[in-house]
Amino acid sequence: MEHAYHYDRNKFDALLYGIIEQSSTEQALTWLQQQKEKLGEPVSVQRFNLTFTAIPRFMGKHPVKSATSYIELSDNTSFFIQGYTLDKLVRIWWLLQFPAADKDAYIKVIEGLFDAADMNEQAALYAALPLLAWPEAWVFRTTEGIRSNIGPVQEAVMLYNIYPARNLEESAWNQLVMKAFFTDKPIHLISGLDERANQKLAATLVDYAHERWAAGRKVHPMLWRLVGPFINADNFQDIQRIWHSEVNVEKEAAALACASSTYAPAKDLLEQSAILRDEISSQRLTWDTIAARIA
Amino acid sequence: MCSSHELTGKEFQPIATSSSYMERIKGMRFFDPHVHMTSRTTDDYQAMADAGVVAIIEPAFWLGQPRTGVDTFRDYFNSLIGWERFRSSQFGIKHYCTIGLNSKEANNERLAEAVMEILPSFIYKEGVVGVGEIGFDDQTAAEEKYYRAQLELAKEAGLPVQIHTPHRDKKKGTQRSMDIALEHGLDPHMVIVDHNNEETVKEVLDRGFWAAFTIYPFTKMGNERMVEIVKQYGSERIMVNSAADWGISDPLAVPKTAALMHESGIDLNDIHLVTFRNAITAFAQSGQMDEVDFDTVKDVDQSLKFNGSTVLRGGQQPRIDKQSNIIR
Repeated sequence: MEHAYHYDRNKFDALLYGIIEQSSTEQALTWLQQQKEKLGEPVSVQRFNLTFTAIPRFMGKHPVKSATSYIELSDNTSFFIQGYTLDKLVRIWWLLQFPAADKDAYIKVIEGLFDAADMNEQAALYAALPLLAWPEAWVFRTTEGIRSNIGPVQEAVMLYNIYPARNLEESAWNQLVMKAFFTDKPIHLISGLDERANQKLAATLVDYAHERWAAGRKVHPMLWRLVGPFINADNFQDIQRIWHSEVNVEKEAAALACASSTYAPAKDLLEQSAILRDEISSQRLTWDTIAARIA
Repeated sequence: MCSSHELTGKEFQPIATSSSYMERIKGMRFFDPHVHMTSRTTDDYQAMADAGVVAIIEPAFWLGQPRTGVDTFRDYFNSLIGWERFRSSQFGIKHYCTIGLNSKEANNERLAEAVMEILPSFIYKEGVVGVGEIGFDDQTAAEEKYYRAQLELAKEAGLPVQIHTPHRDKKKGTQRSMDIALEHGLDPHMVIVDHNNEETVKEVLDRGFWAAFTIYPFTKMGNERMVEIVKQYGSERIMVNSAADWGISDPLAVPKTAALMHESGIDLNDIHLVTFRNAITAFAQSGQMDEVDFDTVKDVDQSLKFNGSTVLRGGQQPRIDKQSNIIR
């Protein structure tokens, strides 16, 4: 039989509820348990929707007290909860309470929440993508989230979210990354950024860099992280251009891009600066140090 | 839409108003062929009228968040040919629109199908001067499908097409938009390719299309760059617009750009073509535009009502004195 969840839902549910307990009042927890009981058997969709929306009123919106910034989902996979408010965390837990065995019914109800969601509800729903049952069912919804014009919603899809990298096909993934550049997101917080780097995205980002230069605008140094593995005769002059930049962080980005390249002239270019080469090999210069500097 | 690239903080400071540019454009008439008045206030209409904007085109677009049903599309299209047209007329500005399914919402195929069914009844309405704004956003298969379907509608109706070119992957998106329009047998002279920049303009002009430029702060063209474009490429088949909407944008972008061109020594005839005449030539091919209307709409009767509503509320004076801190 096909499995609804691709991780240990019960274990995750217990860990998540433990964190919620630590951050909630007795009264709030009682309310939440009552809602769970009222959900009934078979479940009442109305009760499910009502509770999802009402959570902030009864649980509160204060930041969660948690010793960890993430909850383990499975090997090598974590769900980040850093900076979460209680209502967001409880909403995510509540999503796990709807029975997933009837696939069509489940998808219809969750889609209904998306359609009627306010900004905070959308942020919770999109953040929950890696946790929803029937992972293949949310691909289109994810692309809608990327198309959103609302910052916190875009962030919920793009940052610390493992769903897009694992489920989107290449063109949709590339849109996510480009939109992140266009909307000034902290690019290094996109999960799967290096794993999903590809030739087409690199070419598009190089076009984008040319456009910005033509308009007299700056180019985000992190852009070259995604070009590095695809440096070739066509774009090498762009790498040379930032290598010769007066802005230090741009030169460093050029060096890091060259370090991830197999293109011989790029390797030679890096050899021209023993200092940068050594900083990279000793990990004193990484994309994370660049991200920290431009933040 | 807008992004906060390179905002330094000084953009958030109050700006001292200087209307010295108004002197430069005194007596000029402007046409803004792309502005989303639905998202703007009456103050904007007044300021546009004062700056010499006599007519505008409002393309159908994305309202900032996805619609969930066909009825909200129908109401929106109705407002473009109804209430918004009337609202504009009360400020002496002739309002036209283009009707289409925008690229972002083309991705919701279930909804897109329903919208395609109602589109024909709107594109043949009076004062609809084109199919737009249509084209690519993410450049998905669904976007291509509905772009092609709408090109066919435009062709059959003999209407110009107003193409929105994508923010992301712009150069390729622009090329692809033109390739597909030609593939469907459209005459490039019936196609206005919008949101050009330095990287796209040459090919658009070389292939015989109209090249529109959106003067929109921070994310699209600045008007100093626009001056350079006109210096380099001249005024043939080039037009400017504001695309003012719900983002940080400027409904006076067309008059301001004219003023800057004048200051930079660009010939008055070129300014006239780029900020007025070319857009009219392009969109009048719809047969739905009559310049006489630019004047008749000026006979503003503030007491007119649209379905019982007027933009003027009980006892309010038609114009308010912006220099006074007293509001009566």
